[in-house]
Amino acid sequence: MDFSLVFEHLYLVLMTVLFSVIVGLPLGVLAYITPSVRKIVLWAVEILQTIPALALLGLIIIALGPGKTTVIVGLVLYSLLPIVHNTYIGLESVDSGIKEAGKGMGLTQFDRLISVEIPLALPMIFTGIRIATVTTIGVAVFATSVGGGGLGAVIYKGIRTQNMELILFGTVALMIMAILFDVLMIWINNRLTKRTSN
Amino acid sequence: MIRFENVKKKFGDTVVLNNISFNIEPGEFIVLIGPSGCGKTTTLKSINRLITPEEGKIFVNGQDISKANPVKLRRKIGYVIQQIGLFPNMTIEQNIGLVPKRLKYSKSEIKKITKDLMEMVDMSYDEYAHKYPTELSGGQQQRIGVLRALAASPPIVLMDEPFGALDPMTRATLQEEIVRLQKKLKKTIVFVTHDMNEALDLADKIIFMEHGEIVQMATPDEMLANPANDLIRDFMRKSSATSDPSNLTAADFMRTNAISVYKKRSIRECTDLMARQHIDSLLIKNDDDTYVGIITIKDVRKHGKSSGSIGEIIPNENITSDAGENAKDAFDKLYNSGDNYVVVLNNDKTIAGIISKTSMATAMADTLWGDMQ
Repeated sequence: MDFSLVFEHLYLVLMTVLFSVIVGLPLGVLAYITPSVRKIVLWAVEILQTIPALALLGLIIIALGPGKTTVIVGLVLYSLLPIVHNTYIGLESVDSGIKEAGKGMGLTQFDRLISVEIPLALPMIFTGIRIATVTTIGVAVFATSVGGGGLGAVIYKGIRTQNMELILFGTVALMIMAILFDVLMIWINNRLTKRTSN
Repeated sequence: MIRFENVKKKFGDTVVLNNISFNIEPGEFIVLIGPSGCGKTTTLKSINRLITPEEGKIFVNGQDISKANPVKLRRKIGYVIQQIGLFPNMTIEQNIGLVPKRLKYSKSEIKKITKDLMEMVDMSYDEYAHKYPTELSGGQQQRIGVLRALAASPPIVLMDEPFGALDPMTRATLQEEIVRLQKKLKKTIVFVTHDMNEALDLADKIIFMEHGEIVQMATPDEMLANPANDLIRDFMRKSSATSDPSNLTAADFMRTNAISVYKKRSIRECTDLMARQHIDSLLIKNDDDTYVGIITIKDVRKHGKSSGSIGEIIPNENITSDAGENAKDAFDKLYNSGDNYVVVLNNDKTIAGIISKTSMATAMADTLWGDMQ
């Protein structure tokens, strides 16, 4: 068995999550602070999610050629929805009294976001990141079809050669990875929630 | 200190502030009061530019605030709200030190301010400063809310129904504290409430508003002596009644929607009425509206006939009470008689209303906790 494929898969997932957060968090904040672009942003990420993952990768391959970059760009676009949505909803649902107090005391909008609203929305935002991570672990199987490698390669090879053992190895590895990430991130989230919830 | 000149504000088509002008002197404790929707909160929020009026000018410390930087302006004006709004992700000390920190006070200064302020309301710095807001009771939280507003020693403090969500005991303590703090620190305070007692207790001057206009601006004594209109008189009456439960009369507690019929109505009409209204008894009155008695559905059944008028049935002699009778006496009657309600009569023996156990419980809750919606 080739464990390097597991690490390759992990690499794809982690890079995807990293860039999704880098792109998604600001988009969520943008949707929150500017009502005029809110609908467009939320729609856009929703529409991205409706495109089948394989088709999306196929489209990107035309622009960027095969390889890991294509995979990561595709997966990032795909996992924006939970991160952008949860960021927006998390910020929106911060208690209105807290927001008003912050404004009334003379905190700038940026200050309010950094000192109060984002810290309070963090559990919600983190849940979005967790959903994105777990989904990406599964969707990244398609990476192999655009030359990105990862555990998808094992499963495809298993299907082609009708090798049950290979298919099982790939699938079980993916499941374990997903469960481990899920449990780990739920644990972190609980620690985040403890302090900020009433 | 604060001057409004012909300030107008509309939300959509509704005028919320209609040409408001007034002047607040330094060190005054001003209470804005009036029915909901009268514009008192809008007036308050115009002072720190949370709301911007369409017309007119507001001056704070001689400066036209429409030309001021809102963030700088707000840091010089303390702000306390009903929802308290402490930041749950920060400790008590961080909450209190919020504005001082933004104004570049040193760490040791902030610690000293926090300590001094907490001492003033008898909260131990060592015990509470490093706790999070959710670890404190509601009353303690709002104390910190007030201290947070005072931390950068702003000359003006705005308070929007700050004690409205607290239980009566805690509210009373905090009211005393705020009066003490105000005397000691000589702040100009603008305080919004809908509780006339609170206004009378705290204010140097009360501004009574209705429909976006100032009806009266006067000291509590003047307002008590010469209320400008019936609404103010009504506010005062309610508050004096709630302030002293022994003054309450049966009329304060009764329900006025009890259903009554004239003697000559037919029995069938009356049973229909009971069925429609889901009630089991009716108040019977003479042609001149004076009270006769009560007839229940059981009495009708016993009577056996559904023809004829309701007046043929001999009514029960339910206990009655005068509208002016002391509420406690009326309650005693209700409890000792075993009847389901007391019929309250006016001086001319007409029906004023009834007091049931439910209406009594609601009224008591009103007195205890303020208007139950």
